[in-house]
Amino acid sequence: MLPTGNCTFRATGIVKPSERERVSLVDALMSATKGRTSSFTRNVLSASSSQTPGIKCGPNGTFFVSSGISDLDKILGGGIPLGSLVMVMEDAEAPHHMLLLRNFMSQGLVQDQPLLYASPSKDPRGFLGTLPCPSSKDDKLRNHDPQQEKGLRIAWQYKKYFGENQQSFDGHRGSKQEFCNDFDLRKPLERHFFSGQRVDCVSVKDSPNLVALQDRCTTFLAQFPRNDGSISSVGRIAIQSLCAPQCTHSNMEWDVLSFISYLKSMLWSANAVAVVTFPPSLLSESFCKRWQHMADILLSVRAIPDDDKELAKLLTGYQDMVGFLNVHKVARTNTQVPLILEATTFSIKLQKRRFLVLECLNQAPIDGSSGASYGTSGSCSGSSKTGTLEF
Amino acid sequence: MQNLKDFTANFPNDLQSLKLGFLLQTQRSPSSQNSPSIMAESICRTLRDGSLEGEHAPALTLTIKDTAASPFGFDVFAYVLSQLSSFILEGKSQSRSVQLQFIRHSFLPETAPFNIGSSLSDAERPMNSTVCYRIQILDCYTDPLGWKGKLVESGNAMCISDEASSVTHLCKDVRDLDNLYSLILELGKGLAGQGKAHFSVAIDSVNEMLRHASLSRVAGLLSNLRSHDQISCIYWLLHSDLHEVRVTSSVEYMSSMVANVEPLNPSASGQRWDSENVSLLKQNFQKGKLNVRFKRRNGRVRLMCEEFHIEQSGINFTPVSSEDGTINQGLLPKVQFSLQLSEKEQTERAKVVLPFEHQGNGKPMQIYDGRRSLEDNKNEATLASTGNLQRNEASGEGEIIYFRDSDDERPDSDEDPDDDLDI
Repeated sequence: MLPTGNCTFRATGIVKPSERERVSLVDALMSATKGRTSSFTRNVLSASSSQTPGIKCGPNGTFFVSSGISDLDKILGGGIPLGSLVMVMEDAEAPHHMLLLRNFMSQGLVQDQPLLYASPSKDPRGFLGTLPCPSSKDDKLRNHDPQQEKGLRIAWQYKKYFGENQQSFDGHRGSKQEFCNDFDLRKPLERHFFSGQRVDCVSVKDSPNLVALQDRCTTFLAQFPRNDGSISSVGRIAIQSLCAPQCTHSNMEWDVLSFISYLKSMLWSANAVAVVTFPPSLLSESFCKRWQHMADILLSVRAIPDDDKELAKLLTGYQDMVGFLNVHKVARTNTQVPLILEATTFSIKLQKRRFLVLECLNQAPIDGSSGASYGTSGSCSGSSKTGTLEF
Repeated sequence: MQNLKDFTANFPNDLQSLKLGFLLQTQRSPSSQNSPSIMAESICRTLRDGSLEGEHAPALTLTIKDTAASPFGFDVFAYVLSQLSSFILEGKSQSRSVQLQFIRHSFLPETAPFNIGSSLSDAERPMNSTVCYRIQILDCYTDPLGWKGKLVESGNAMCISDEASSVTHLCKDVRDLDNLYSLILELGKGLAGQGKAHFSVAIDSVNEMLRHASLSRVAGLLSNLRSHDQISCIYWLLHSDLHEVRVTSSVEYMSSMVANVEPLNPSASGQRWDSENVSLLKQNFQKGKLNVRFKRRNGRVRLMCEEFHIEQSGINFTPVSSEDGTINQGLLPKVQFSLQLSEKEQTERAKVVLPFEHQGNGKPMQIYDGRRSLEDNKNEATLASTGNLQRNEASGEGEIIYFRDSDDERPDSDEDPDDDLDI
């Protein structure tokens, strides 16, 4: 980043990075090549739970389950905590919530976690054929090396530190691969993953109310009781487009609300997570607000216009973007410290049309012609909201 | 003619059939072509290309929305129908036939708009000795709730000669949507014959369906149609000001394209009819804007806008005269950082020599003292290495003025513990 104005300053010496900073700078360099995440990531050196590869220990005695998208796991602080309810607000104009759902469901199936899937279509099983397959590692690793060397001139021999960190990095990466896979959206998941008893599908279209779905959820969650012992298995519930217009229950707003609170209470006493997507534009405003308060983790997806020259000027990488993801609420259990995100808006990109990545937005200032330099701008963000810094 | 137009403009929804009659009077010659429009053509082309195999809800759906301020949705609907029919007749489209369900307006062959009429008469001719019609009409207009039938049964009225043509099929109960769904499918499959050929469905007015059945039932019917493999595309007309916003947004939720018919001057409508406003209002009832939102498969939304004129020969589309670009700033959070480099800045950055970098050209070490380029100021560089104070003669933009602490200090002495600097 260059200062945009004229300034003279006095150099008082050479900045010498200390030992610890060097290590974190190496991490920053390694992570910077993958895309613009925060430059100083906290190394949560948490060993995965010994019993099952799909569960990770988190801070404050919580356990995390992967959402299927590694970027989203990082944003949420490690993954989805067990027992939480994730709600995704759909955009009527874009099917991005399906991308999130697909990755979530595939991740569970690949890690042998039973799945309950409910959808408003007549044949929910058909959707399972569109789930993505974990990609082979060769595709991803091949990309990293050429990108690292491009256009970066560093007058510091950082390479000699690679030998020390390479081991821990590979080990780290290895365990991370098991927790969260990279999914290739163009390859369908092998059939043996979702055949059999592991996947339970429910269609909510023709049922007069949500009682049937509620019963199915109850029986499903009874398989994963939470007690103080070890976690044997974890369940996942995916409900797509709750309150879609073609379902009869879409008129019964209070009933749907009571179903959600019931689900939430059941989840709290079970080792399971649930992802529910719903179309907020089709609900009345008050109910939309109530639903949002019910969620532990609240995300929303938004469509972006196609071939928009203004957006292309404002954003770098606009060509690859397919939409935006907003993170409204992140669950923090067993602690009073909230998670303050650096950014709440992320762009959804499909790398090579196969891999889903979430990136922070790199955008030009709205009134860039005024040429504000660092000295003049006092606060970082124009709209200052308490607790969240938005870049 | 002008008065008639104004008259129908006052009561657009009640006198649609009258307006249709007005259109009919002027549209007798089937050879008159509408002027081609880019955007409306692209709608029709997209519908023509139809669905992809193996998609979640394959059929493409188009919602045409209008309001009382610009009540030309029906014209657009008729345009789309005529375009698609001509595509079907030419054999260019994925769907081989059209299943037309009308409730609100009469589409019977005698009274249908001009090129529908001609395509209907073409369609009724059997093709290639096998009876294979290209259009099938589901008539929900004549007797939607079965009252006439009941009257005939009870003997109170004369029997109306049901035109039992093979093209038209009468529906006597619009409220039973399951029956309607199976009727549509049956007729469509009958059109398609034995094979797996696709057909498209045109629904005249969703408002009428919503009048007789609840939103969830109608939405269920539409989504069932959408998920059916043999249906290539569906399009319908909706008057959005007749229902709550929720209803309109539910219908939009289920469609892959939304075409909004809007007035050119939105402020003019709804005001009192003063002499100044009448000209604007008149303009509103001859022209309008068509805003289309395409939901593309990759999740982006393409917005297109065109103007249209209703003239004697039909509806004409023209590209939009004035561009008002809307910046989608609501989507993005506001920042004040400049995170991008302009071209000039990029080239300047490439020119910057880092202080302790290898120059790579075998010359003696030179400290970059903030001067602009090393090659030009060789004299100053050699002086700097002996540790003298230098002042920049060339006054330029940002300069680094470095005052050395002592003259003896050399930049690359062995006592310097920075052995990890790549010099």
